[in-house]
Amino acid sequence: MSPQRLIIDTDPGVDDAIALWLALASPELELLGVTVVAGNVPLQATLQNACKIVGLSGRTDVPVFAGAPGPLVREQVYGKYAHIGAFSDALVPAGALQPQEEHAVDFLVRTLRQAAEDNDPVTLCVIGPMTNIALALGMHPDVVRGIRQIVTMSCAFTALGHRVPWAEFNVYADPHAAEKVFTSGVPLIIMPLDMTFQALICPPDIDYLRQQGGAPGTAIADLLAAFDRTDITRFGRDGGPVHDATTVAWLLQPDLFSGVAASVGVEVCGKTAGYTYADFYRKLDVESNATVMQTVNERGFFALLKQRISRYGDPVA
Amino acid sequence: MNPLPIIIDCDPGIDDAIALLSAFVSPELNILGICTVCGNQPLENTTRNALQITELGQRTDIPVYAGCHQPLLRAPIHGLFHGENGLGNSHFPLPEKQAETQHAVNFIIERCEEAVRLDQPLTLCVLGPMTNLATALRIQPQIAAGIASVVMMGGACREAGNRTMTSEFNMLADPHAAHIVFSSDLTITMLPLDATHQVILTPEHVARFVNVSGRISQPLGELMAFWDRNDPIRYGSRGGPLHDPLVIACLLAPALFSTQKARVYVEHESELCMGQTVADWYAKTALTPNVNIVTGVDSEKIFALFYELLSRYAEVRP
Repeated sequence: MSPQRLIIDTDPGVDDAIALWLALASPELELLGVTVVAGNVPLQATLQNACKIVGLSGRTDVPVFAGAPGPLVREQVYGKYAHIGAFSDALVPAGALQPQEEHAVDFLVRTLRQAAEDNDPVTLCVIGPMTNIALALGMHPDVVRGIRQIVTMSCAFTALGHRVPWAEFNVYADPHAAEKVFTSGVPLIIMPLDMTFQALICPPDIDYLRQQGGAPGTAIADLLAAFDRTDITRFGRDGGPVHDATTVAWLLQPDLFSGVAASVGVEVCGKTAGYTYADFYRKLDVESNATVMQTVNERGFFALLKQRISRYGDPVA
Repeated sequence: MNPLPIIIDCDPGIDDAIALLSAFVSPELNILGICTVCGNQPLENTTRNALQITELGQRTDIPVYAGCHQPLLRAPIHGLFHGENGLGNSHFPLPEKQAETQHAVNFIIERCEEAVRLDQPLTLCVLGPMTNLATALRIQPQIAAGIASVVMMGGACREAGNRTMTSEFNMLADPHAAHIVFSSDLTITMLPLDATHQVILTPEHVARFVNVSGRISQPLGELMAFWDRNDPIRYGSRGGPLHDPLVIACLLAPALFSTQKARVYVEHESELCMGQTVADWYAKTALTPNVNIVTGVDSEKIFALFYELLSRYAEVRP
């Protein structure tokens, strides 16, 4: 089977880094490019982080594009760990990989229009605020036809939010962009907090990644140690979520997840801007626009992650 | 004096067409390009209409760039007073020239970046919904340094709206785009309905334009005749407001316009007043005034200016 063509739109971010390294180690995915957006940290830092992540994987054939430096309409907010800025070289060593000259939105428009023309649509994995995707959708009507599906880590439905009580960060940071994506007609596969809170990475898995995962494995372990994601009071047990990585895992092994079709929408203004709902019980008379993932096989997910990341530690590969 | 470098972003549209025809014969203006947007008509029509008007005005040397096909977030709405094709009942030949392959947003970004490099900032004339400029600003915010000013037709400050109770068409069509532009640090001159409703193109004016405008007189007369709202209760006489051409007049003869500076906010959240432009006349908010709002116009002299401009189409071209 030919590999699935993919663009990852991201705001690295610790869990973005894990998602990227997982994708970069997986030959089932043909990563056409990494488009970067402001989110967890400002654009300059997310861009620098993305270049270091791709560079450390050795996959310098994958181009990195700088995108939108801020959200469409609302004022800018950064992630809980915004103070960390760019990853230090001690955490993720700097490489030689430089971003492309072309703007991320131009790359998306160009690639997706070509994909539409070739009738070979591309999967988008969207793990940051959706600003780049929304801007690309607004540029040309063919863009939407060039997208096979959007797999996104975003939203909170049965779970409460994590940046503010009512919203998941990626949607909260640019609710208008989320609205544009949700109403675009593109099939959505949503990895909400409800599900990502079920897969918590624990010290034994982190130790395994450090020992077996080469430079990226060490970096994952160091990043998770530097930015503690555990929250016993919230999760009731040890371990921290690796939200974004679930999108790539779904592309590789969808049977690790179960979900339901639902109509998903977002509040774009007012006190609860960024609030997302899923019409699980069909109260609205509208067709579903998304598959909302509800459960994940936690052990299976981490087995996949360890198996793939350990390829970086295998000198033969 | 060097001509003023401008980009005209528009959605022709009858009044856009009159604005373009006026700008074409103004050597004071260096029109770098015409950008089109979804507005009075869908994008493919506004683009075709822009091309037709460049052919009518014999200014096919000016490139036309097609822009955004829909507002940033809202479903498209279109104008009600421009006829089926956007140019009244006029039937122009299908344009021979095509739009450029470059997207209008990329054209705006590229020319503004060049303006920054050359330190020769541009004037952007926005006659339609502000989608193209807002998109360009979100993709590449640094272009603001290449924009000397935005001169735009839109909004209604003390005047009521023309599409809803509160809102002027261009603002209502893409309130998020307008919000992006009005909350930027750009220098903005705004021609709201408060100004444009002071300049009503009456049947008497139209007769005179037909008389003076030489080789475009017949199509110009048709466009202008179609523009008659025939609503003396609203406008005080027969005729229609000369909205978009005032942007060009404002560039050529700023002395004919009086302005008041204020911060302008665009309602983009509440459906009842969606697209309303609220001017902070008395500094009730903390933000610095950023918009020169045209409040007064010398209607008589403005018509004299347009008679003179459009009579240039009667001159024999070398």
